[in-house]
Amino acid sequence: MMKTENEKYDSVLNLLQKSKPLLDSTGEIEIEVIRRVRKLNHSGVNLSEVIDFLFSWVYIGWVRRSLITASMALVLIFVYQQGVILKRIEVLSRQTVIFDKEKAMSSSSSDGIDRLLTLYKNSGHRFPSKYITISESQMKELQESLKEMQIKYKDLENLIESDPELKKLIEKKLMENNFTKFNL
Amino acid sequence: MIDIQLIEECKHGNFNNFRKFVELSSPFAYSVAFRMLGDEDEAKDVVQQTMVTIWQKLKKIKTAEVYKTWMYRIVVNKCYDEMRKRKRNPEFVTDEQTWQLISNRISESPSSALENTETSKIIRLLTEKLSIKQKAVFVLSELEGMSNDEISGITGISKSAVKANLYHARKTISQMVEKYL
Repeated sequence: MMKTENEKYDSVLNLLQKSKPLLDSTGEIEIEVIRRVRKLNHSGVNLSEVIDFLFSWVYIGWVRRSLITASMALVLIFVYQQGVILKRIEVLSRQTVIFDKEKAMSSSSSDGIDRLLTLYKNSGHRFPSKYITISESQMKELQESLKEMQIKYKDLENLIESDPELKKLIEKKLMENNFTKFNL
Repeated sequence: MIDIQLIEECKHGNFNNFRKFVELSSPFAYSVAFRMLGDEDEAKDVVQQTMVTIWQKLKKIKTAEVYKTWMYRIVVNKCYDEMRKRKRNPEFVTDEQTWQLISNRISESPSSALENTETSKIIRLLTEKLSIKQKAVFVLSELEGMSNDEISGITGISKSAVKANLYHARKTISQMVEKYL
């Protein structure tokens, strides 16, 4: 007679249920377990005793709670300090930007060309003049100051021409120094 | 299986009491481990590991009932570890001879109990296609006769998941049995 799927399953299951696994001897397991436990005790007793002696106080309820509170407070303080430090860094970096801007602005102001020329003069013409870049306004300023200087030079010439004694004195001084002109 | 008095005596660190404790507990642990793993040596090793773990955490046991669930949970978890290891090195299972063995045994009337080696072969063959959880639920429910509540407590999976796993395990094994027997 053909068995149905369930009947076959039940008969296989019944066979397995009936066949309870037999542990031939618990003695072997007992010996091995006791050996492992003894080994564990020998290697672990001293260390665990030391750890218990040193840190058993952490198991006291109020100590644990206090430690948790303290650690949370430390974390909060740390986060707060980090926030303050970041804020300060941000302020400092902003200040640097303002300083740079001021410098940039001052270099393009009306006395900028004077500063550049003074720098060029003071450096003993060590850096090539092609590295000095000037703006259009600075060029105009330069032309104006040159014109002014030419006018003042002419005034000075007229003044010398009009006073013969002064002219003689100047010529004498120039002869002494082997100059043909005053070194302005 | 174990009374609370013996557990209390073991807590004081007496090896003789613990030896008795191992003697009484081992067959139960071995039955589950063997049926889950289908291998005598691996099952014995799991039992030994379980007993050592129990010794280490004996102080936590409050009642004999809790102990039972707890011991089975350790066994099942250790079997999971073994099966995961085995998954990395799958073995070749010889199907035909085992199906013939099952056929012969169920045709006997009344059928005699199987030997461990035969049980091992049959369990391995039948549970070959089951997931680790399905295998655990099948063994605990169908072979060890535990309730869904007990299985849920041991495996840590919900009762509905236990039912689902058991349904799939039964279905897979039924289909195999129908196909080959």
